[in-house]
This record gives sequence, structure tokens and C-alpha cells, in this order.
Amino acid sequence: MEEALVIDHLQKSYDQKQALQGVTFSVKSGTCFGLLGPNGAGKSTTMKILTGIIEADRGSVHMLGIDASEKGKGLRQRVGYVPQSITLYEKLSAYDNLKFFGEMYGVRGKKLQQRIKEVLEQIGLKDRSKDAVETFSGGMKRRVNIAAALLHKPEVLILDEPTVGIDPQSRNHIFDMIRMLKKEGVTLIYSTHYMEEVEALCDDIAIIDHGKIIAQGHLHELLEEYSQRAIYVEAPTLKEPPTSPGAIRTYPQGEGWMIETEKLKETMLYFLNSDVGAKVTRLEIVRPSLESVFLSLTGTQLRD
Amino acid sequence: MFSIIIKELKILVREKGSFFFLLIMPMLFIVLFGSVFGNESSTVTVNYMDQDGSKASKAFIRQVDKVDGFKVDKTKSTSLEQQVKEIKKGKLSSLLVIPKGFGEKVQSGKSPVNVKFYRDSSSEDSVSPIRAVLANISNGYHDRKLSAELMAVEKDATKVKKMMASPLQIRDIEENGKVGSPMAQFVPGYTVMFVFYIMITMVRRFFRERESGMIARLRSTPMKPLNYLIGMWVPALIMVLIQCTVLLTFGHVVYDLNLGDSLAIAAIVFCLAICGTGLGLALSLFVRGENQGLAFTQLIALGGAVIGGLWFPFDLLPSFAQVIGRFTPQYWAQKGFQDVMIRGAHLGDVEQTLGFLLIIGVAGLLLALVQFNRFLRSATS
Repeated sequence: MEEALVIDHLQKSYDQKQALQGVTFSVKSGTCFGLLGPNGAGKSTTMKILTGIIEADRGSVHMLGIDASEKGKGLRQRVGYVPQSITLYEKLSAYDNLKFFGEMYGVRGKKLQQRIKEVLEQIGLKDRSKDAVETFSGGMKRRVNIAAALLHKPEVLILDEPTVGIDPQSRNHIFDMIRMLKKEGVTLIYSTHYMEEVEALCDDIAIIDHGKIIAQGHLHELLEEYSQRAIYVEAPTLKEPPTSPGAIRTYPQGEGWMIETEKLKETMLYFLNSDVGAKVTRLEIVRPSLESVFLSLTGTQLRD
Repeated sequence: MFSIIIKELKILVREKGSFFFLLIMPMLFIVLFGSVFGNESSTVTVNYMDQDGSKASKAFIRQVDKVDGFKVDKTKSTSLEQQVKEIKKGKLSSLLVIPKGFGEKVQSGKSPVNVKFYRDSSSEDSVSPIRAVLANISNGYHDRKLSAELMAVEKDATKVKKMMASPLQIRDIEENGKVGSPMAQFVPGYTVMFVFYIMITMVRRFFRERESGMIARLRSTPMKPLNYLIGMWVPALIMVLIQCTVLLTFGHVVYDLNLGDSLAIAAIVFCLAICGTGLGLALSLFVRGENQGLAFTQLIALGGAVIGGLWFPFDLLPSFAQVIGRFTPQYWAQKGFQDVMIRGAHLGDVEQTLGFLLIIGVAGLLLALVQFNRFLRSATS
């Protein structure tokens, strides 16, 4: 599969602080790529370099086969950018905002009218198009914020934490939009610090921390390679940490215990056949998560 | 660029605060000063106490009352002591006391009459004109006495008249075609002053664009940076053109202000708009925050209004202020407007005004252009 984006050894410093320390990754065309990391890890800096808002000190960015440092108008017309903050004109209507952004991307006339109609339907705000954005809820504003980057039908869409601070309903709406765009063949670069978003949307992932990519690959590969298999057991008699064969680590979680082990089957059988077996109320294999991947890679929780 | 202009105009129209500063405030000032000074000239009141009550004292009072801009007012109390107390308390600025025996002494002409003029020393400005009028009337009495004595010797009225004639004759010749009114000071004055308040609107707009991340977002689009700068400037220019048109039309319609050559007025308005928005653009890109922009705007708008002669005639300013004032755009704009409105100047006569305003405006635009890339680089959030 052709690569829509190739980033090679990006470096960027702000005064004394090194924000990016040789970030390297690539994104395949038509996929959704997740850039996952805690706040201050370097996600937004990477996104802003991709969009040409800031310049890297070193390294290169090739997007759609074009060197992004050349800042060609042609490239910008093929890329959409959804910033982390809601950058809309509050006093203007959703329609006026979209018209303005469409024109900024060089879309005009009937084609623009048509596109505005389409994206308003896509974000579910067709009925509110004439209302001032200042009257919208946070989630609605987020949807318009995304729509503003879609009017020129970008081949690559860069989304920098597009769901910060919104309600679950709007989040689901945005997820549906992103899945739809992916179906249409748009390459999506999605930065977030929410594990569940990456797990729900992305094919490939890069985990960034302190300006460095600490792991990257397909979601399943990362889970396979870095997450620890585990069994969760709950029983009223288990007041102390249970000692099961092959347990690597045992720690309390919720009402029961989490047992990290490579021997899933043996551990389950042990609990079913042991003295506590008859009193076990819950026994399950824990699905590997990016949370555990991040934990095993950095030794810290992602939201720390 | 047109998309940015249209968008910006829509935002400016929806921001009611801008309208208040650019249109409502100057109108309120014009109406306020117009109602105080515009319809009739101010009258100085001469409080008096006539202790004589003779025909001569009444004639003297009538003489004061006849002088244009003066009216007499008899004190309610007949107690001089009480009236002097009132002056000491600051409730009365002056008091003219005609003593008993005034009529007799004037008629005999043997000994001088002591008409007393009590005054509050802290009210010198309002008292000075009264003193000047009284001195003039006193000279009149002196002339009449001298004339009577000469007549007794010479007998020939023509010769006496010739002898009494002053060697100095001052002729009052009115050179301006149009009669100047206080409104020819206030309407252009407050129009010019409030034009410079566009700078606040511009600073606020640029600051919000930067802080909201809008500039950063727009930089990710194919938009040309220079188009952005022009797109943000032109709406402010249009606002000022509308502002001046509305305020000058208001002065013309409500106060019957003569605008003179409309082409010359239009040229001054255009150059003034370039000047105000040019400075506003430079300020917007240099200041670090809204408050700093507000402080600089007040300094330029109010400082320039005072020393540029927008609040009162430039000639009344102290000489050092006049020297500084000549370097302000406010002075040149006001001078240009008044040249056209009062002195009947045309386009060719206000070239100096137009040139000065354009130089300041273009300098502001060039400064903004120099600073623009730095401003853009700072807008990364």
C-alpha cells in the first residue's frame, strides 16, 4: 500500500526544551493512523509541523509524495487540518463559517454550496446552519470545527485531539464521520490521549512520549507485543492475593484480583478446581489494551 | 482576500461595542457640546447693587446691559455685607456696586465716583470680560467729560470731534465666506478624534484571531499571508469611511453645518481613514495584548485630540503645545476640515493636509508589513 505520509527524524525545540527528538513514522494511504501520547508528549507539535504552521528544526516530512517544507499551495489544497482548539467565528452562523473556510481552501460557487450542504448533513446540523455558532453546544461546535476541514475534500485529514471535552453523543457522531471518511479513502492522522479512541478508530498506531516514538505498528501487533495477558478473578473468600501457578504479578482491581500470566488456561483451571472454585463469582480473560501497552512501555499511566 | 473582507465586515457589524465607540459616542459628544455651545453664544451675567437709584445710575446699568454677550442681574439682597459673603463662599463671582450719590457726582463732574467692583479672585476667567466692559464704559464717561470741557473753550463741535478722535482706528473686516459656528469645531473635531478609536477594534480583532488559534488554522490553508493582512485592514478602512460619512452628515443635517466642497471633504476623509487604520494595523501587530493596545490607543486618540486642537480652537493652546500639535494627524485633519468648511477651501488647497495624513498612514502600513511575518510566527497556538 502506498504511503501518504513519511516523517523522518523530526526535531523541534522551544527555547531549552526539546519537544521532538527524532520522530519517525509513516502512514499508509486510506488508513487511520493514531498518534497516542499524554499531554505534552509532542503530538500537537508534530501535527503543526505536518500542517506547516511551525517548522521543524531538523528532519523531513513528505506528504502525498511532496516535500511539505516546500509549502506548496497544491499540497495545502489536498490536506485538511482540524486543530485542537475550536477555531470558528462565534458571531457567524455555521453556514457562514463553512463558506469562509471553503473559500480559504479555494472552493467557490455552486460547488461550495453543494459541499456545505453535504457536510452539514454529515455532521447532523443542517437545521441549525443559519444559527450563530455561539449558540451551539461544545459538541456541536466540535462537529462544525471538523466540517470546516472537509469542504475541499482533502486526501489527508489531520485531526489534533478533535474530541476534547465533548459529550458521548457528539463523540459517537464524530467517530461515525471518521469511519465514513475512512471508507471514502481519506487518510486520517488522529492525535489523542484517549486509548479507547485509538482502539475504536485506528489501524496503525505510534505511541509518543517525551518527544520520542516509543512504539509503533498495527494495533494487534502492539497489543501482542507489549500488553500483558491477564486473568481477572472475583470471589468473596479471596481476601488475600491468590497464589496461582505461573502468575507474573498479582494486584487488586475493583472487587477482585488481576493476575498477569502467560498461562491463561492453567490459571483459569486452577481457580475452578481449587478450594475457592465453588465460590468464584467472576472469572475472565482480560482483553489486552493499549493502557497496558503504555504502562509496560513507560511504567506510567497514560493520563498521569 | 474578498472572503476575509466579507467575513470581517460581518463580524464587525455584529459587534455592537465597535458601533458604540465609532458612532454613538462621537454623536453623544457632538450633541452634548452642540446643546451647550451650538445654538446661542454664551452670556456673561453682571450682578449689581444700585445704592443710588438715580436716573444716572439706571442709565449706567442700561449701558452695561446693552453690550452684546452681557446681561445685568440685580441682587436679591440689599445687604452689601451679605453679598460680599456670597462672593467669599464662591456663590457669586462678582458684584458691581453703584454708591449713593452716583448721579449727583457724575452730573457735577467735580470729584470722581467710586463704583466698586467686588470679585472672586479664583473666577478670573469669567470676571475679566466684565472688567473690560466696565473700563470701556468708564472711558466713555471720561470722553464725554473731556468733550464737554473742550466745547466750553472751542465752541466748534466739528473741531472738538476731530480733537477727540483716536489716532488709532481698528476696522473689523470679515474675510471668511462662511460664518464659523461652534459646530464647525465640534463636528469635525469629534469625528477626527473618534476615527482613531478604530485602533481598539483592530487590536481586538487581531488579538482574538491569534489567541483563538484562527491565524494558525488559516496558515494551514492555501491562503496567502498578505491577503490576510489586506483582508483584515480593508474592513476597518470601510468602517472609518462610513463613520466619517455618518458623523459629518449628522452635523450637516442636525446642526446645519456647512460642509463646503464635498470632493475636498471626501479626500480628507479617505486620507484620514488611511492614517487611522494604518496606525491601527501597525499597533495591532506590535502590541502584546489587548490592554496594551487600549492604552496606546487612548494615548494617540486623546493626546492627539488635546494638542491637535480638536476640543478647542488650536490658537488657544499654549505655544509649546501648538508646536507639538502641528506634528499630529489630528491637527492636520481638523485644519483640513475647517479650511474647507469655514474658509471655503477646495481640493487643491488641502494638499498639505492630505499629504501629511497619507504619509502617517503609509508609514503605519509599512511598519505593519515589516512586523507581519513575526506576528504570524508567534501565532502558533
